[in-house]
Amino acid sequence: MPSGIKLSRRHLLRGVATAIALPPLEAMFNPNGTLYAAEIKRGAAAARPETRFVLWFNGNGITERYWIPTSTGPDYEMTPCLAPLAPFRNDIHVITGLDNPAARLPGPGNDHHRSMSALVSGSSFTGHGAGAASIDQVIAGKIGGDSRFRSLQLGVTQESFGESIQRNLSWAGRDRALPPEMIPHKLFDRIFGKRDETWVARKRSILDAVQQDSKSLASALGKQDQLRLDEHLSSVRDMERAITMLPPEYAKVGEPEESGDMKDWPRISKLQSDLLAHALVTGQTRVASYMLTKCQGLSRFPWLGYTAARHHDYTHADGKAPGFDGPSGQRIMRDICRWHVEEFAYLVARLKATPEGAGTLLDNCCLLFVHEHAEANSHKNNGLASIVAGHAGNLITGMHSKLTGTVGDLYLTLADNVMGAGLNQFPTATRKLSGIAGA
Amino acid sequence: MMCVRAAFLVLLGAAIALPSTDAPLMRRLTHSQYNHTVHDLLGDQTNPASQFPEEDFVNGFKNQISAQSVPPLLAEAYSAAAEKLARNAFRGGDANHLVPCRPRSAGDAACRAQFIRDFGLKAFRRPLVAAEVARYSSLFAAAARGKFLDGAQLVVEAMLQSPNFLFRAEQGGDTRQYDIASRLSYFLWDTMPDAQLFDAAAHGRLATPDDIEKQARRMLADPRARQSIDEFASEWLRFDRILSAVKDRRRYPQFSPELAQSMTEESRRLVQDAVWNDRDFMTIFTAGYGFLNSDLATLYGLPAPSAEFARVDFPADSDRAGVIGQATFLALTSKPGETSPTSRGVFVREQFLCQKVPDPPPGVNSNLPPVTADKPQTNRERMAAHATEQPCAGCHQFIDPIGFGLEKFDAVGARREKLKLVFYNPHDDDDEKKVKTAELDLDAHGAVSGLPAANFSSPKELGMILAARPECQECVVRQLFRYAWGRHELGADRPVILAALARFRDSQFRFKELMISLVSAYALGN
Repeated sequence: MPSGIKLSRRHLLRGVATAIALPPLEAMFNPNGTLYAAEIKRGAAAARPETRFVLWFNGNGITERYWIPTSTGPDYEMTPCLAPLAPFRNDIHVITGLDNPAARLPGPGNDHHRSMSALVSGSSFTGHGAGAASIDQVIAGKIGGDSRFRSLQLGVTQESFGESIQRNLSWAGRDRALPPEMIPHKLFDRIFGKRDETWVARKRSILDAVQQDSKSLASALGKQDQLRLDEHLSSVRDMERAITMLPPEYAKVGEPEESGDMKDWPRISKLQSDLLAHALVTGQTRVASYMLTKCQGLSRFPWLGYTAARHHDYTHADGKAPGFDGPSGQRIMRDICRWHVEEFAYLVARLKATPEGAGTLLDNCCLLFVHEHAEANSHKNNGLASIVAGHAGNLITGMHSKLTGTVGDLYLTLADNVMGAGLNQFPTATRKLSGIAGA
Repeated sequence: MMCVRAAFLVLLGAAIALPSTDAPLMRRLTHSQYNHTVHDLLGDQTNPASQFPEEDFVNGFKNQISAQSVPPLLAEAYSAAAEKLARNAFRGGDANHLVPCRPRSAGDAACRAQFIRDFGLKAFRRPLVAAEVARYSSLFAAAARGKFLDGAQLVVEAMLQSPNFLFRAEQGGDTRQYDIASRLSYFLWDTMPDAQLFDAAAHGRLATPDDIEKQARRMLADPRARQSIDEFASEWLRFDRILSAVKDRRRYPQFSPELAQSMTEESRRLVQDAVWNDRDFMTIFTAGYGFLNSDLATLYGLPAPSAEFARVDFPADSDRAGVIGQATFLALTSKPGETSPTSRGVFVREQFLCQKVPDPPPGVNSNLPPVTADKPQTNRERMAAHATEQPCAGCHQFIDPIGFGLEKFDAVGARREKLKLVFYNPHDDDDEKKVKTAELDLDAHGAVSGLPAANFSSPKELGMILAARPECQECVVRQLFRYAWGRHELGADRPVILAALARFRDSQFRFKELMISLVSAYALGN
């Protein structure tokens, strides 16, 4: 491959206009055809590509009658909400019936707060944030250490009530939110931004001084503040790693520009999925979380024609948007849930259209799609509706399964049997589920 | 079901846990403080922190210590901002006079050390120790091969990422006076100390309550004090919620981001007017005037003001007064299409009376009966179930009646005599024939249960009740305490709050006196 510029932002963005058309990825391969990112790993043999985990979320919940298939097994019917995934039915496993028991522990917060903390961490809402580390972070703690980014957090819509538990999907620990990057051009800059060797050397010398400052300061502080300083230090180290593990070819990637409607959520969502696919295939991270909408989210849906109320209002057939109660309100919910699935399907398509090794990127991914509630209106926190997508670790796909167990059981199964994270435990998990991954 | 009510009453009494012996104290600069600080330190005008990942609300504010971590995304944002700020600072040579000496060469060690000490003092808000001077000198030397300012730029970039800059980490001992200077400046100015504060710290003149009061009075006379009060007001009154609000365009075509911005400007100006013109601060609840632009005047049904956001006196018979009568409050507590008496009640209880309203118990069906064209209902009628059915009534009897008294103001804050309901066919919006309307009489009798003689039927009457109530007066003190200390008040903080309240009351509710009382306790406290 010649040394010219092969990958530009325009290449990346071009894919968006034409739905699932893929930009060329060749520029990210070196003359031997192996990924640059593979070279990041010190002496890693180019064996089977590593597995990746993506936790995908949208807020509020679903309308069960339009989302959950009535039959189980391989011949389940595609419901109106799941329809966008029809082309990928052999790449997905619809899993319903799981419980989120930690949502019902006594404690502060409304149903959304409690369900969200319990969903991601298996622990009670603290009054400020999640009660413990979220599943993506627990997995990243085990398998993210060799990547340029231990994990990435992406988001799309921004409308919410503004509280920490509503705005964050990933948690490094109790009350330690990891905010998602919601602006595509910033995400681009973070992952593919222009860098050169002088810049890297300069940054390293700065971060070295910063770390020394941090160490001297720690000795003068109380224990709680030392812990908080440690968090800062660990973020600085993460950043240092991201800088020093920069693939050399990215020095030639063009500077992204800001343009377009930044509140056109379907557009932003696809841009974010494009960037995520690139980040995954170039091995920059193995773990990501994708927060399409906020917990108890307040998005409006002008592209669907629904502007009278916000998502949360619609879930309760309220917002006093007169006329939206009853059956017509249910249909609105159906269309909204289908949009959520549509954006998920876009990412699945993107991964499937990205070649990797002898197959596709999707072959090495495990995507998990969850919501804070099952039926949104009643804040139902059992019988959850979820989707596992991808073929990492012999995931069983092409099925709808109604399972008994907790969402923690599912996490543990995916983390240990599919991702090889070796957690052995997760809050609310008591066993691994069968029928998720083949031998 | 009595248990829910009992729990609520306990919360009204607000007995809070005792302080932990090892509480976190270190405070991260808020995004607002970051912007102000780099402005004062480097002359920066770009407000780089406005691009950082947004801060979340905890305890009603964005500056609470428990929520101030530095996730990798924020660390990277700090790094990128530092790079840009340092580059800009030396773009036209040393235009901001950051180097206090004239370097004889790129390797001028004396000037280098002088610069590091001088800039370091301002950036870290305390003198550097010898090890730090050495650390930054070697960093400087590595970069300044050709030009002195290249080294200076690298030092600035590094210091802006140091925990000594990003956090206010108090080390006590020799730097105690400097800790106090930062406490004063970040509370009263929302930015770093100025030369006079540094000088006072260097000479040990921030030691006694008299010292503090003298400084505080000087600082409150400085325009920078507005920054802090503006930030406090914008968080206390939750401007974020109206700035991000959406309204049903068919019902409220006048609502736009610009109008939302105007609403917050009106609220900001009412608070500023009370604070800086030394009025009784409780008049923010009773003021029979507003600071309006023509859009707001139209919304309020008043003639256009003489100038943008000029003071406009409301007619004597107007029901509108104070913050409760402002569009900011009335609209941010409403849903897109209709008011929410519950949200209004919760806001009044939590923001103005400091009473924590419990969340609905788990799994309760919170759906009210739908309003249909066949059976149109007012909010009061629709919410009747809240008052009669358990477990709802336990709490809603304290909440909803507050909102009922404000029902003559709609979801964008305009006056209405009747409730106009519009029923659209959701699948055929353009077909006029399918639109049905209903007009209902409104009963605006409201009450703040738990307070004596607290029946009202307008924002003006509610404002007068609140302004006169000790609970509301104390709540102003407690909200400012949370903002100043960066945490919820604890049992042990009671004496500080009571002393501040007494001074606030004795001064006929002069907000500056409240600030001076609190800043003295804060600056000299643990």
